[in-house]
Amino acid sequence: MRNSLKVARWEFKRNVKNKSFVISLLLTPVLFILFATLPTLLSGSGSDDDPVNVSVSDPSGIWAEQIEPFVTSADLNWETSVVNASPDEWEAGLEEDESAVYLALDEAALRNGQVTYYTTDETPDSFAGEVQLLAAPLQQMNLQNAGLSDEQMAAVTNGVQFNAEELSDSEQATADSGLNELARIIPGAFAGLILFSIVMTGMMIFQSASQEKKEKVSEIVLSSLTPSDLMQGKIIGYFWLGMLQVGVWLLIAFPFVIWRFNDLPIMEYLFVPELALLIVIALIGYLLFAALFVGLGATIEDMSSTSNFQGLVMMLPFSPVILIGPILSDPNGIAAQVGSYIPFTSPAVLIMRLSLLEEWPWVEIAIGISILILSVWLFMKLAGKIFEVGILLYGKNASMGDMMKWIRS
Amino acid sequence: MSEIALTVQSLQKSFKDQQVLHDVSFNVRKGEITALLGPNGAGKSTTIRSIMGILYPDHGTIKFHGEKEGQIPKHKIGYLPEERGLYKNVKIMDILLYFAELKDYPLKRAKERALSYLKKFGLEGKDKVSIEELSKGMGQKVQFIASIIHEPELLILDEPFSGLDPVSQEVFKEEIRELARNGTAILLSAHQMNLVEEMADRLIMIHKGREVISGTMDEVKRQYASFKCTIHGQNEEKKLQAIPFVNRVEQHDNVSVLFLDQNLKAADWIRKLPADIHIEEFRLDRVSLHEIFIDVASDRTLAAEEEEKYA
Repeated sequence: MRNSLKVARWEFKRNVKNKSFVISLLLTPVLFILFATLPTLLSGSGSDDDPVNVSVSDPSGIWAEQIEPFVTSADLNWETSVVNASPDEWEAGLEEDESAVYLALDEAALRNGQVTYYTTDETPDSFAGEVQLLAAPLQQMNLQNAGLSDEQMAAVTNGVQFNAEELSDSEQATADSGLNELARIIPGAFAGLILFSIVMTGMMIFQSASQEKKEKVSEIVLSSLTPSDLMQGKIIGYFWLGMLQVGVWLLIAFPFVIWRFNDLPIMEYLFVPELALLIVIALIGYLLFAALFVGLGATIEDMSSTSNFQGLVMMLPFSPVILIGPILSDPNGIAAQVGSYIPFTSPAVLIMRLSLLEEWPWVEIAIGISILILSVWLFMKLAGKIFEVGILLYGKNASMGDMMKWIRS
Repeated sequence: MSEIALTVQSLQKSFKDQQVLHDVSFNVRKGEITALLGPNGAGKSTTIRSIMGILYPDHGTIKFHGEKEGQIPKHKIGYLPEERGLYKNVKIMDILLYFAELKDYPLKRAKERALSYLKKFGLEGKDKVSIEELSKGMGQKVQFIASIIHEPELLILDEPFSGLDPVSQEVFKEEIRELARNGTAILLSAHQMNLVEEMADRLIMIHKGREVISGTMDEVKRQYASFKCTIHGQNEEKKLQAIPFVNRVEQHDNVSVLFLDQNLKAADWIRKLPADIHIEEFRLDRVSLHEIFIDVASDRTLAAEEEEKYA
């Protein structure tokens, strides 16, 4: 174990000093923040710069008192004014490239419920949606004019809605359902981030083992320690690297998340007992993929001539992606259950399911984790056998037949 | 006689159905350079890898003196494999310290030794340079330093001179000698017979996995290396072959090389040479290790021994 830790420290230090690793380490959270804020900033800045000049023709005199308060409360980027001009006169008075609208609220339009508005080329498309906000106050006004009482008006305007309620603790569930979901998702997302990060750095084990072969340094290293020391050291080193990655990402992104979602008690939701199990699942998942990658890396010297089999193994960590849809639509469905028992998908599937489900399926969790631990043990054994011989096989990539021979020996 | 550091006894190893080592045995002594020789594919690297515990022999024992049987004191051994390289994008000092750390050698002392060896090998000031910025020869010097950074008691060098220019070969040669003088037991595998002849105290030559020659350098020369006589002049091969004590004749243009019997008394033999031989130039030398190697590699010596045995 002492030798493994020496290798782990070396792999960790070597990568931490590597410029491309440092750049990607810092760039990832920056890109995340950028993607999270840029669209809002861009759309926000567009509307701030160019308000739509809305000219309202209001012969009935309803605008100021009954409609304008709606516009103000909806915080629309409109510059409104009441005009007496006809559409033609209004058009004649427009400036070039002006984003403007002429809204005709005459009596006939109100009576028929057909309000016409005139736009210029520069009027944003979003106006068509925004103007629909005026439908409710106008309809209410019409109903009021028809002499309906407040209850009758409410009955007409509210329509019918279907609300789902579960039988158990229904009162509390209704009140807190949104918050509860978040409380489950936040630890799940954190464990998911850890799984993603350590599996991504785990993929670097593959490169590291392959590079060691290519640079013919393994025989020198193996004159000081055993192949299993070297293999374990790589797995531990890249685990540290993954955790460092998570730490740096959080350090950069956390203040932003706290600022962006300042109304949510994120820390309170994050540090819950369930988080421990989710992190354990992520760590076991890492060990499985690390075993696969370290074994595979020891069989490949030339990355450009890898076989389909090796390509398939590299794709395995991404296999849960195909189950995201079915799991989101039914976290207890057959796809979710089967995914929990397949070792390559179970870490991500379990984390996803446990983030969505209010009641955890403990039996399924226990079976899923047991299969996962058993697979880790098996794959570590196989990877050890492949690594021991493969890492010293210079000059060619190992074939499937070679690997089978090494495993049997 | 110096103390034995390593004993290899009856080593056997097979790959698939082919036996590549047949009962190879030898000792490596402290303060001596033992050369492990043989043509390509003779089994040298397999022997070395077995000693290092990288391969497991099918039969035989490897004993490091002062250690329990079967235990390899890796921190006391320095190893420069034939197939070697270093991490490309890492600073030289970092690599050297990593190898020292793997051998449990104190890092402060390792750093001092690394700086001193870099200076000795003309790489002063390159400790913060990465390997990819060095030439192949410079890289090999760093690999050599890596193998001795921890002051090994036993140093195993597999083809240390390959790819080196004559100047660097000389530097390596001197350093290896210096290490031996300081008490390091050295096992050296090399193809440069002139260098081996100059450096080695003992040698073992293996061919097709079998030990064919072994002993101190003097013993081997006495045993296998007789004289060869080079004559410039026009002579018929048949005539030269008929001269007593001549085992074999090689002719190129006007130059004839006569390989002579081991039991030859040189002065007597010269006196009794036929008078009608055309001699423009005449030279009598000991056969070099290089020629013994060629003989062994081309099975000539073995064939001759067999002939003698069944004559």
